[in-house]
Amino acid sequence: MERSIYRPALVVIVGVLGFLIAVSFNTNARLVEAVPDRASDLVGVVRDMEEQRLELEDRLADLRDEMEGLEREAAEDAGVSDTFTRELAEARALAGLTAVTGPGVELTLGDGSDVAPGVDPNDYLIHDTDISAVVNALLADGAEAVEINGERVVATTPIRCAGTTVLVNAARLGSPYVIRAIGDSESLERAVIEDPVASLLFTTYANQFGLQVGVTRLTNVEIAEYRGSLRPMFAAPVEGVSGS
Amino acid sequence: MMVLALALGLGIALGLLTDIAIPAALITYLGVAVLAAIDACLGGVRASLERTFDDKVFISGFITNTLMAAFIVFVGDRIGVRELYLAAVVAFGIRLFDNLGTVRRLMFSRWGW
Repeated sequence: MERSIYRPALVVIVGVLGFLIAVSFNTNARLVEAVPDRASDLVGVVRDMEEQRLELEDRLADLRDEMEGLEREAAEDAGVSDTFTRELAEARALAGLTAVTGPGVELTLGDGSDVAPGVDPNDYLIHDTDISAVVNALLADGAEAVEINGERVVATTPIRCAGTTVLVNAARLGSPYVIRAIGDSESLERAVIEDPVASLLFTTYANQFGLQVGVTRLTNVEIAEYRGSLRPMFAAPVEGVSGS
Repeated sequence: MMVLALALGLGIALGLLTDIAIPAALITYLGVAVLAAIDACLGGVRASLERTFDDKVFISGFITNTLMAAFIVFVGDRIGVRELYLAAVVAFGIRLFDNLGTVRRLMFSRWGW
């Protein structure tokens, strides 16, 4: 083989080129690794938190049962009349801490299908405001208990938008939304159908956007108890006013 | 040619084995540096084949080209025209193919094809 025509300087720079190529390869490999990691991390965090919440709800239910037993015992011990226990049970039922049953209505609100081109796809979805309007109409008509997809509506229940889902209490709910209410079923049905805001869902919007809606009167509706926390941190009872 | 291929392989192996990486923000600088190095190497090969290779010209050309390219990237970052680095990429790219074509023709004549 003849003597190489290439000078040492060129050979060195070619080596440097190889090194630079390898470094950029390393850097890119790390970037590609890093991106999906973060997304799956966050998904994992959300899943963990939701699992944790469910566990805590179970524990809360256990503790509530225990407390009920203790309250009953205490009432018996103190020789307080049955009226007190009954009043307590009524207050719990109204506060939403016990599952209740009775006549009422079941409303279904489902997202529309077949989004027409050029139309805002938001129009085809059931929003938190739609659910609020329906729940409001029911409560205004005297519904005694309301739940949305098994989430009991209590005095502190928020109904708000959370991306593609609706947040009720601490649960993320998705379409279709099944709202059950206990009360005078005929009156409740009329209340929703005649409510200026809620009625649009069942007439204009349902026809225009294909929303899956329905109202059914039922002789027996079962509504679940509130499973979240109800511990006041800031509100304290006013002194000198008797509770119940 | 064998020597150059060997040097390139050695450099790549060294980089992969040491597993050195740079911060993600500097990846543009590295890309432009790689282009400058490819351009310099092809230019060097061409000069060698034309028997006009000069260490001084080669080394100074490599260093100033790389620094200028890095400077353009830096200025682009600062004035908010991040795409300014494309100027260096295009300039190096055109020279690269120009040199490659010449090297190819020189090799044919050198080996008498």
